[in-house]
Amino acid sequence: MPINHITGNAIMGKQMISQFASCGFMLEILYSFVIIVCSLMIYFGTKELYELSSHKGIKYFRLSFLFFAIAYFFRSFIKFVVIYFNIESIFNFSPKTFGILFGSATMFVFMYFSAMAIFYLLYSVMWKKLEKSPNKIYLFHFFAFIISLITIIFMNPFVYLWMNLLLLSCVIFIYYLSRKQSKVKKSKHNLHIIYTLLFSFWVLNIIDILIPTFFKTFQLFIYLASIFLFLLMLYKVIKKTGAN
Amino acid sequence: MVVKRNKLEIIKDILNLINKNHNLIKYTPLLRQSNISSSRFKEYYIELLKKDFVKEVHQKREKFVSLTEKGFKFLEKYEVIVNFIEEFEL
Repeated sequence: MPINHITGNAIMGKQMISQFASCGFMLEILYSFVIIVCSLMIYFGTKELYELSSHKGIKYFRLSFLFFAIAYFFRSFIKFVVIYFNIESIFNFSPKTFGILFGSATMFVFMYFSAMAIFYLLYSVMWKKLEKSPNKIYLFHFFAFIISLITIIFMNPFVYLWMNLLLLSCVIFIYYLSRKQSKVKKSKHNLHIIYTLLFSFWVLNIIDILIPTFFKTFQLFIYLASIFLFLLMLYKVIKKTGAN
Repeated sequence: MVVKRNKLEIIKDILNLINKNHNLIKYTPLLRQSNISSSRFKEYYIELLKKDFVKEVHQKREKFVSLTEKGFKFLEKYEVIVNFIEEFEL
């Protein structure tokens, strides 16, 4: 192999490494890794309880965290692409350089699973009230599909931003309405606060992935807060299930 | 006021009845002691068999109901399941 070729490859490699380091790529990977591990630990840690009880609430709860894990996997994958191609936003993908199918498919899967994770978490605490109409779960799949479709059709961050904020408001409103009607007025576990924060930080995470320049200053704060929430959930699950 | 038992409680009570009878009880006394209607009991009984929580044992031409390993596991984990459901308001 000619020496020039080797030197060229080495320089390119060094440039890539420094590019990744400067963009906090390792931080991204670490962040996604922690969230994926936490989510999968919650999913597998509750497996036995579900197998024994067949309780629908436990089923939706654990599926929600499986969806979180899948969505975060695709999130880190998209971030990798954004950093690798050195582009400002996921919406700036040029079909020529990136490929319509590749970008759209990844984006679609990410949006679908992230929406489903939130819907399932909400459904896990509300399934008893909504059980009379079993088609609700198909409605969630339909909404998640529509959200994903709108995201890849419009490719406009602000359409998605407003849509997501609207969705978040709806989720919080439904959740609080459900709690208000509930016989248990006051929770001793403060779960509603954890869930509200989880929903809110999920939206911030989505905005962060779609418009990376939007939260540049607060990025680390969003990451740390999200990790804290997932670790808190994992701690609560481990404490209650005794899973190791 | 009588508190209506939920599905998990009824399953736990049925399994406990079997366990307390030295893990061997006939169908009819189990139905009587479970405090649910015969039609509902039949539904639960079929479900318990399907889930492999109980098994039918034949002794001296008579049919008995007995707990399986999974049935014992359910009883062991019942409190954990209930606490988990309560903790996460599921």
